[in-house]
Amino acid sequence: MVGNPVQAARVYNSRGVDELVFLDIFASEQKRKLNLKIVAEIIKECYMPVAIGGGISSIDDINNLLKIGADKVVIKTMALSDIKFVKEAVHFFGGQCICIAVDAYRGSEGYLVYNKLGKNILLRDFIKSIEDCEVGELVLTSVDNDGMREGFDLELINEVCRTTRIPVIAVGGGGNMQHYNDLFSKTPIEAVGSASIFHFTQFTPLDIKKEIASLGRPVRL
Amino acid sequence: MVAIIDYGMGNVASVQKALNHLNVESAITANHALIKAAEYILLPGVGSFMQGMKNLKERGLDTLLTEEVMHKKKNFMGICLGMQMIMQQGTEPELNLGLGWIEGSVEKFNMPELRIPHMGWNEINVINDTYYKAVENKDFYFIHSYHVVPLDPQVIAATVNYGSNVVASIQKDNIFAMQFHPEKSQVSGLTVLKAYFS
Repeated sequence: MVGNPVQAARVYNSRGVDELVFLDIFASEQKRKLNLKIVAEIIKECYMPVAIGGGISSIDDINNLLKIGADKVVIKTMALSDIKFVKEAVHFFGGQCICIAVDAYRGSEGYLVYNKLGKNILLRDFIKSIEDCEVGELVLTSVDNDGMREGFDLELINEVCRTTRIPVIAVGGGGNMQHYNDLFSKTPIEAVGSASIFHFTQFTPLDIKKEIASLGRPVRL
Repeated sequence: MVAIIDYGMGNVASVQKALNHLNVESAITANHALIKAAEYILLPGVGSFMQGMKNLKERGLDTLLTEEVMHKKKNFMGICLGMQMIMQQGTEPELNLGLGWIEGSVEKFNMPELRIPHMGWNEINVINDTYYKAVENKDFYFIHSYHVVPLDPQVIAATVNYGSNVVASIQKDNIFAMQFHPEKSQVSGLTVLKAYFS
């Protein structure tokens, strides 16, 4: 995160992004909850869907976020440590509010799930367990490519798109228009998430949308 | 004044925020007296049909809303789950009864190559443009795994293509409902809300 998140949200809203995902990536590790006040202020700026994540570990956490206007919540750590919670959340709120975030990296025998629990988890197995929970969406981040702005991990994305029917948002690696061109012409992905490209280059969300549209893929302009 | 029904299911704050933006007065409430006094009733909703109906019943809102909307003909807007629950029955997660204001049911998307839920922006085909006349860009934000199947095609105000053409909006007498989220559909959504509440 670079700068003031509320201001960033305002800009993204004015630039017509389709959706905003706000993640407090240190909440779980630091054993604390999201700052609901800041989250509410971010949501106030947005007239498009907002997904919020960070340290979510109870039904109450989810309810608190939905109450202040979040449309979906993003869960990562709990999906690794207690899959039953994910099932419970889906049962209570419906799968469309529950988004699972997974960080994948290349291992010697295939993609693995990056985690701080010291576990060796095959991406394929993890996705299967998530699919059984009937969650609404998977935010798939390539650990190897994230923040590098050198392109997406197309092999990873193709493999995941083949493996699951859940909507997938590919995240990690977008740095110039060719990357998005490759992504949408060489994989069946239907959604991409980006951040670094907007913070560190001159490209705007509209640039990317126009690139996608030029490929004949449906996108809201 | 719009009574935004608070039954413990989801994004009442976003809906109110959108109405505030349009200078439409609203109150998030489950209070029967307040609901009776309101000019409009808005039923939002995010979550499962069964849980939604359970929550409405617990607050006596199923009978109250039916009285206000079906008998007193109060202006009603249903959004997402709020549109699904007005049907006779739903199937999420299993067969159960809805408010029964519109004949028909709620079915799960069921085509093998389709990703579920239908999540994202999609363009609607307007059939009844009473409240859609001023909308330029017909892209709205959808997020649902189930869709309504009304028995009477006359009530269909708009459809959207996802796998096949499914109902995106219903309009019948004082009832106006939509599967998409107008409060999440930026300018287009705000335009529809403005058309209904002013």
